[in-house]
This record gives sequence, C-alpha cells and structure tokens, in this order.
Amino acid sequence: MFKRIRLRLRDMKTINKLISGADEQAGICGEEEPGAEHFILSALNLPDGSAKRVLERLGADPSKFREAIKEQYNEPLRSVGINPDIIETHPEPIESKKVFHNSKPSGQHLIKSLYDLKQKDKDRPLLSAHVLSAVTKMDHGVAIRAFKILGINQGQLTRAVNEELDLI
Amino acid sequence: MSTIKSLPSADNPEEALATVVSLRRMAEQLEREAVKEAISQGWSWSQVAEALGVTKQAAHKRHAALIKKTNK
Repeated sequence: MFKRIRLRLRDMKTINKLISGADEQAGICGEEEPGAEHFILSALNLPDGSAKRVLERLGADPSKFREAIKEQYNEPLRSVGINPDIIETHPEPIESKKVFHNSKPSGQHLIKSLYDLKQKDKDRPLLSAHVLSAVTKMDHGVAIRAFKILGINQGQLTRAVNEELDLI
Repeated sequence: MSTIKSLPSADNPEEALATVVSLRRMAEQLEREAVKEAISQGWSWSQVAEALGVTKQAAHKRHAALIKKTNK
C-alpha cells in the first residue's frame, strides 16, 4: 500500500520533470509547443538514465538525437533542391511562461500512451525508457524519422526498451 | 539562391508528407522572423496582416507575444 503511494508520488515528480523538460526543449528548438521529439530529448535528460541506455544498447549516441531531429527536417529539403545550410533560419529560443501546458498532437499522443503503459505497469516507477516505449506505438512523425536517421527502426527500439525495462 | 527542382510524388506519402512538414517549419520560421523585422521597422499589425493575407487579430494572436518576449 505505502509502496504504491510512494511510487505514485515519484511518478508525479517524474512526469513534472518530463513535461517541463519537453517545454524547455521545444523552446530551445524555437517551437511554441513540444512534440514527441521534445519529450524524447527531455527523457534523455532524466536522472534514471534508462532512455540513454536504450539508445546505447542500439549503438547510438544519445547526444546525437537533437542533430537527428534537425537532419530529418533537412533531408526532405535537400530532396527538393533546397540547401538547408544556405536558407536555414536560426530560430530564436522561445521562453514560455504558460500556466497551462499544451503539446502538439504527437506530444499529446505520447502522454496518452505513457498513461496507458503505466496503467499496465503499476509495480515499476515511471522511467525515461517508458517514454521511448510510448514512442514505439507511433508509426510516423518527426520522432520516428529522427530514429530512422540514427539507423533505428521501431522493432529494434521496442526490443531494446523491453530489454532495459526487464532489468529493472 | 535555392530553387525547388521538383516535389516528391504524392504516390509516396511518407516522403511527400515529411517534405510538407519541413517546408511548413521553414515557412513558419521565416514568417516569425519577417514579422518581427516588420514590426521593428514600424509596420502596423494591420499592414503585417494584409501582407500575410490574414486578419489583424490572427497575425497579432500568432506573433505578438513572441515578439514582446524577444524584444525585452
């Protein structure tokens, strides 16, 4: 009983850190609202380190995820003949003082998947690897394309997340 | 100067939609910077809205808060 309450309190702290971190990451990228990719960047900064270890299991450098997000925007531009290095504008960081959090649809989808996951996995604390697990429920979008840039497909990500969570 | 050579075929939605997302993001960044510059050059919100083809309210709602923050 007390264990469950402690877990719940810990999960609430983790969710707060995850959401405020995603808002911050979106701001750094010059975007008003966080998408799934900003939640991943936030998860990679969470102290439990499990999301970082998932990427390392797959031979990817977690610090390269931000670069992969940028590249998945640049690659399609190059394919239509636009050189992103020449025309790229440098977004100014956006400082948000919003009282109520809002996310892009991909961010909302991720939070909903995270909630569903936690409903099924009540005995473990919420970990940054759970965020990656929620991403595996997605088929398209910026986050999925960024993983592809890193050479990671959904099957590989799902297996690595499960291996990491099985150790905890 | 960059020119668009060709657009991906709609037959490949994965590629076409990824391109749409990139172009839209690029346009949004350019819009934000251009509006900020216009306001700093003394344009009114009505003029900005007219140039963008939106209502004054829409232009103001979309950009005013961000411009105030970056001008602080």
